[in-house]
Amino acid sequence: MTNYLIRRVIQMIFVILLSAGATFFLFNIAPGGPLSGLQQQQQQLTREDIARIKAQFELDLYLPVRFSRWLIGFPSGPITVGGQELFADIPVGCYLVREEQTTDRNGNTVTRPTGCDDYVYLSEIPELHPAVRSSKGILRGDFGLSTVVRPGRPVLDELLSRLNATLELLVTATLLSLLIGVPIGIYSAVHQYSRFDYFFTTLAFIGSSMPVFFFALLLILVFSVMPVFLQDTMPWIPRLPSGLREAMRGYSIAEWLPRVEAGSLWDRLLHLAMPLMVLTFFNMAGWSRFVRTSMLEVLRQDYVRTARAKGLRENLVIYKHTLRNALIPFVTILVLTIPGIFSGAIITETVFAWPGMGRLYFDALSRSDWPIALAFIFITAVLTVFALLLGDILYTVVDPRIKYK
Amino acid sequence: MHYTKKWLTLVGVLTVLAFVLAACPAQPAAAPQTIEVTREVEKIVEKEVPVEVQVEVPVEVEKVVEVTAEDYTTPHPILSDIVVRQAIAQCVNRDELIASVYPYVADDVKPTLRMDTFLPKSHWAYSGGYTDYAYDPAAASAALEAAGWVDADGDGVREKDGNRLSLKFTTTTAQFRQTWAAVAEQNLLGCGIEIIRLHTPASWWFGDSTGLQRRDFELGAYAWVGQTNPSGRTLYACNQIPLPSNNWEGQNYMGWCNEEASQAIVAGNNTLVQAERVAAYDTVQKHFADDMISLPLFQRAEAEAWGINLLNFRPDATEYSSANSWEWELADGGDTMVVAFSQEPSSMFSLIVSAAVQRQVAQMGVGNIWTQYSYDYQPLTQTPLASLENGLATNEMVEVTAGDMVYNVDGEPEELAAGTKIVVDGETVEYDGSSTVSLPQLVVNYKYAEFTWSDGTPASAGDVELAHQIECDKDSGAVSFIVCDAMQSAEFGPGVEATVTYLPGYQNPTYFLSPWGELYPSHQVLSDGRMLKDVPAAEWATLPEIAEKRLSYGPYVIADWVKGERIELEANPYYEPAPKVQKIIVVIVADTNQAVAQLLAGDVDYLERATLGGGAEVQTVIDAAAEGKVNVEIIPSPTWEHIDMNLYTK
Repeated sequence: MTNYLIRRVIQMIFVILLSAGATFFLFNIAPGGPLSGLQQQQQQLTREDIARIKAQFELDLYLPVRFSRWLIGFPSGPITVGGQELFADIPVGCYLVREEQTTDRNGNTVTRPTGCDDYVYLSEIPELHPAVRSSKGILRGDFGLSTVVRPGRPVLDELLSRLNATLELLVTATLLSLLIGVPIGIYSAVHQYSRFDYFFTTLAFIGSSMPVFFFALLLILVFSVMPVFLQDTMPWIPRLPSGLREAMRGYSIAEWLPRVEAGSLWDRLLHLAMPLMVLTFFNMAGWSRFVRTSMLEVLRQDYVRTARAKGLRENLVIYKHTLRNALIPFVTILVLTIPGIFSGAIITETVFAWPGMGRLYFDALSRSDWPIALAFIFITAVLTVFALLLGDILYTVVDPRIKYK
Repeated sequence: MHYTKKWLTLVGVLTVLAFVLAACPAQPAAAPQTIEVTREVEKIVEKEVPVEVQVEVPVEVEKVVEVTAEDYTTPHPILSDIVVRQAIAQCVNRDELIASVYPYVADDVKPTLRMDTFLPKSHWAYSGGYTDYAYDPAAASAALEAAGWVDADGDGVREKDGNRLSLKFTTTTAQFRQTWAAVAEQNLLGCGIEIIRLHTPASWWFGDSTGLQRRDFELGAYAWVGQTNPSGRTLYACNQIPLPSNNWEGQNYMGWCNEEASQAIVAGNNTLVQAERVAAYDTVQKHFADDMISLPLFQRAEAEAWGINLLNFRPDATEYSSANSWEWELADGGDTMVVAFSQEPSSMFSLIVSAAVQRQVAQMGVGNIWTQYSYDYQPLTQTPLASLENGLATNEMVEVTAGDMVYNVDGEPEELAAGTKIVVDGETVEYDGSSTVSLPQLVVNYKYAEFTWSDGTPASAGDVELAHQIECDKDSGAVSFIVCDAMQSAEFGPGVEATVTYLPGYQNPTYFLSPWGELYPSHQVLSDGRMLKDVPAAEWATLPEIAEKRLSYGPYVIADWVKGERIELEANPYYEPAPKVQKIIVVIVADTNQAVAQLLAGDVDYLERATLGGGAEVQTVIDAAAEGKVNVEIIPSPTWEHIDMNLYTK
């Protein structure tokens, strides 16, 4: 087992580095970027202006140098050995790129970078990219500074500021989904083709096929908007707050109910209700189907038939012999919720104005804030490989037959 | 599970591959080299195209200037023909386009959205009477027939000399543009003009080295945001055509060069006399409409909705509604107001962020120097606005000679030397290298109100000086330094004021506005013990005291900022007149449906205009307004849609 774990950890490091390199590379070759908006401003920008602005995003440095600085914060200047600066005159970037027209193999005239009019040398890094605006490297826990979403402010602060809201929503939704979905799956399997089974199978199909945003908007319409209009004539109808994590001022949800104070526990629960309903419904739909299928598969096994033939109580057959075996594949699904809990739920958070990770990631992607998006993907990748490792370890716990060598 | 060596080798190889790929530099670090362009230089001599008179089509004198053979100097085989361009204009039913995207706008308002030049009809520089190209497919078809564009093969699309009248139409993937583009496509097909719609990601279309900036289009649709000062030099002047030879600088993507219009733009941007500006822009607009190089479609309709509990709300086309936030009042006497924004401001450091949401929060929680209601400027913290009439500005003639720094015709500071182009008496002249020339020199005294910062410290001349120090520092992160570069000198004090002497020849029509967008508290001590004024400009964006919790000279001060959720603003106790609502909370609501639901429920009092947007949700709000639940106003936005026509091809 120890050897296995060591081997897995080494593999994980490779996978994480590979994913970090791939995502960094992909972000850098994708069109757009933090300079996109410049062209939509009616102003005269010279080549020097654009070069200066590019340098503010470290785009004047060569890609491998940028990657190295993002990953480990190196190089941050000339290498000093025994008081002597080494490689100070090595070019590490180009401040002013020279572009010229050339003809490609198809005979088309294309504009290509053909050289550099002003190189950036290693010795110039401390001045051009001072430590206060540079990252020490994500491997050292410094995710650098945001470029667009919160320009100049640490990415880590941004991530941490959203973590609580996401955990609050996702952990609650995951627990609720487990508490509801697994028993439903078990019951449906045990009572296959019963009315209960048909009802929850239908519900599960609805949950699996209905778009999240549609269901969310439907809830807002039914529980928030319609009551507002109905309350004109039926003031006793209660309404739910449509979004946000908490109210900004006190409010009333129905004439006969006490006024809700902003920020109170009751207020927080009311605001949590609808996003929780959405996420729970969708998780529950999928998980209950999975557990049902898995249970049905195990229920058909010979050893279950044998257990029943031996006259074991049905509860014992279900919960001891069937459920435990049926839950083995479910472990994989369960551990993979760990990165999901960190990364949030983009659509649900957006529709319900929930200030979580998903919205931050969406914001970072749509506004080309690479440092935030890269940090997000990197952390998610790390959590995913750890979750998979955890899943493999948990297999040995739930199924003693599994042993790693 | 069985992990083989083969598997491990594969991971290793992939990892190495990833690093090799990542190691490819974005820009080659090769030594400078010159690649000879072998393509022959084609000289096109200046010529006058014969006057063409069409049915209801204006007279056109097209001038083709001398060009070198590089990309986008070969006239487009179809769009270089003015008959085609004008036919396109006449075949697009702009009223139908407006109706397709704004079904909720009242019929009597729709025509007011329609544009015929690059300025809206309510703009001070719009004089009217320009060629409008009313929807007339019959006239357009007749003009095309007369010009030889006929549908010989009967496939519904015209041809001429082997060229099919088929054009690529590039724009973004925005649903709004897909809707009106589909209508335009049908309109044009009705005239025998085929367009092939390419809806590209905005990141490509507006990329710094792709799409529009590289003039990679035939017909291209996007929007410009109209400004109180029409400017327009970067959009329509002859020397603003992006080309490989000028590193794609400029925003004249059509490649339009009409010398008369270009000179009028320069003149309009180099005079301080309003009447002369109106005349100059009238000339530009006339040529813009006649040459039909860009088809103005319509102003976007923007809707602002606010609760019936909110009083003194003042929506306006060119000024944010937050500009008079100290006057906002809640009818029920409440002390907390809630505003919904679709996007969270990035930073309160206005110098590096120009987004609308940032400006609006900054107007409330940081301060505002002046306002611009109804395409005009009004004093606020800067009071009064400097002008030649009130004596705060002078524009005396000074003599300059070779070696003096002056402001040239391209809007750049330059040492006067032989060949320098300068504007003298409204005319562009080339300096001979030796004579003495008289140029006007602006000296402006900018005065600010004797306000008190939100920490109780009175404003000082040092605050103005700090604004100058930071906003003119190239390390600050600002995009443009045009005004700073035009300054010859600046003196500060004795009051909260500064006197700026500009370079001879600099005739900025908006000289009367403070050249610094903000004022900064020079007395402020940061959490790390440093004085704000001692912090290098490069660090300012990283300071929480600048980016997030600013000292304020506006009606409110930022008391708390919960990221992704809300910004709490409390009344600035030193602001005069005192704000009527004690607290304003800005909540971040990205989804329009959600925002509307909150407004209808009374959870928020005002939806910022981008939050409500211009989509179907506006109808919901209009319906609610009809029931007296909310207020709504449809505003013709200064943002206008248009179709650029690229006159040249690769």
